[in-house]
Amino acid sequence: MRNASKASLALFVLVAAIALAACGSNESTVTDATAGPTATKPGGKPESASMGGKVPTIVVRNGEPVGGIQELEYNAGEEIRFEVSSDVAEEVHVHGYDLMQDVPAGGTVSFDFPAEIEGIFEVELEGAGEQIAELRVNP
Amino acid sequence: MTLLPFAHALVARQDLPVPAWLFAWGASIVLIVSFFALAAGWRRPRFEQVGWRPLGAGLSRGLCSRPAQILCGLVGVFLLGVAVYAGLRGTEAPDRNFALTFVFVTVWLGFAFFSALLGDLFRPFNPWRALGRAFGAGFRAIAGQRPAHLAYPERLGRWPAAFGLLAFVWLEVVYGGSGGVAVGLDPHVVAVAALVYSAYVLAMMALFGVEEWCERGEVFSVYFGMFSRLGCFGVEDGRLGLRPPLAATTTWATLPGSVAVVVASIASTSFDGAQEGAFKSAIGSTYEWAIDRGIAALTAQRLTDTLFMLACFGGVGLVYMLGVRGMRTVRGAPSFARLRVGFAHSLIPIALAYLVAHYFSFFVFQEQAQFTYLLSDPLGTATTDLFGTASAGVDYRVLSANAIWYVQVGALVVGHVLGLTLAHDRALVYWRNYRDASRSQYWMLAVMVAFTCFGLYLLSVANG
Repeated sequence: MRNASKASLALFVLVAAIALAACGSNESTVTDATAGPTATKPGGKPESASMGGKVPTIVVRNGEPVGGIQELEYNAGEEIRFEVSSDVAEEVHVHGYDLMQDVPAGGTVSFDFPAEIEGIFEVELEGAGEQIAELRVNP
Repeated sequence: MTLLPFAHALVARQDLPVPAWLFAWGASIVLIVSFFALAAGWRRPRFEQVGWRPLGAGLSRGLCSRPAQILCGLVGVFLLGVAVYAGLRGTEAPDRNFALTFVFVTVWLGFAFFSALLGDLFRPFNPWRALGRAFGAGFRAIAGQRPAHLAYPERLGRWPAAFGLLAFVWLEVVYGGSGGVAVGLDPHVVAVAALVYSAYVLAMMALFGVEEWCERGEVFSVYFGMFSRLGCFGVEDGRLGLRPPLAATTTWATLPGSVAVVVASIASTSFDGAQEGAFKSAIGSTYEWAIDRGIAALTAQRLTDTLFMLACFGGVGLVYMLGVRGMRTVRGAPSFARLRVGFAHSLIPIALAYLVAHYFSFFVFQEQAQFTYLLSDPLGTATTDLFGTASAGVDYRVLSANAIWYVQVGALVVGHVLGLTLAHDRALVYWRNYRDASRSQYWMLAVMVAFTCFGLYLLSVANG
């Protein structure tokens, strides 16, 4: 029966380790949440969506998002606000929420809708089939 | 770095990664449950005797009657025809064409999920089996004798189905996933693939016999048949009956190549779950490496994805083989080959758990499309509105992120427990000595914990 007790000890240690790891990551998510409720990840790129209460803008040049696919992150129940300014005439499609808006060449459209569906969604230029942003709505 | 267009064919909404605390709870529960499984195991096999008892004769006679079989077969052939027609004549947009959702979601996922609960539902609706039997009946009527068949090479077993399964998933997630941003698989390709596959299956049935090929080579029959063994409904000698749940799995893996089928199932789901999460950066750097060697972008991407999918197959197979190798070291163990075949069925619940964890939400959302606009406007050309639901959409609010997470983690934990149950039961058959049987199960326990925790890990870094 020594084998069994060794195995149970090993299992106990593993469970404890995982539980500890979980507590650690819980703390980190709490600090994330206090850092900014309208968390818009800049993604380390200079041209990415602006921070600090301003409405993030996705800039489209030559039919592509400047600075790569932008990340927009919200919590359920918040108001999702962002703008798309494009140098080509296009239709902007928010998948899942299924919202469409036309943007004229050189113009800007703004989106403003409640975050009521949780998940990860594409924001796409419908004509070119080009993804310009990834919208994340956390519960 | 170039951003790889990994978007899935039909996905408009992706699952959020399982949060760390839930991952930890899931993994902890798995370990605690495993510990109890070791400590409180039963001492006599409980699932090896398939105690089958018939259900009401009237019900059996109705459901298994010849007219019912012919009707189901016709429905199957008709739906295959609709899918092929829609693929050939319908819109190129994967999400608006009946063919893609029907083949890859309604059939591929739906039959897997519901077969596990309700028994082998695919068998009566299998269009190729229906066609094969109809041809056979026609042959008998004209020639006045049963068609002669070649003897199926026994060693080949279910290997054709294992390769077919990998090829099917490859078509969906590698070939279809590489067409460009969110393009997915061209419905036209699906239709052509379905026609080619139909010709292949009918040829094989003509060579080896309809039932022979359904049991061994026909991908969908083998795949759904495997999951149907989990449930408590089964047909024997043309009669519907009840059996203890899980019991029918114990006789499933006796054909060669069965291990490869269940490993292919776990591996292909793992690959699809990992390509946008756990393996994303590794796939990205391999892709860059291929590009640097002057390989065209699309080829490089397909090549990379194919390599990783095969690596998943090899990896999952290796983990299982290591567990089997470990069991060989226990006193009184049967041969390696016998052990390898003997424990394969304990992976079936894990394969189903992986499938539920990765595709449950996708299935719920996409079936709304299937039964609204894809049904009313199968071609996606906005020219028909058969049932008045052509303008309906998918309501993504029916499942909250929390509900999806609990189903995902719950499926993996339940699959883990069922897998352990079957493995423990089988060990009691091979080792007369209870302590040796328990000792052998440390190895299978390690295999199960590895698969379950890997599954949880994939969920926790999904779409990261």
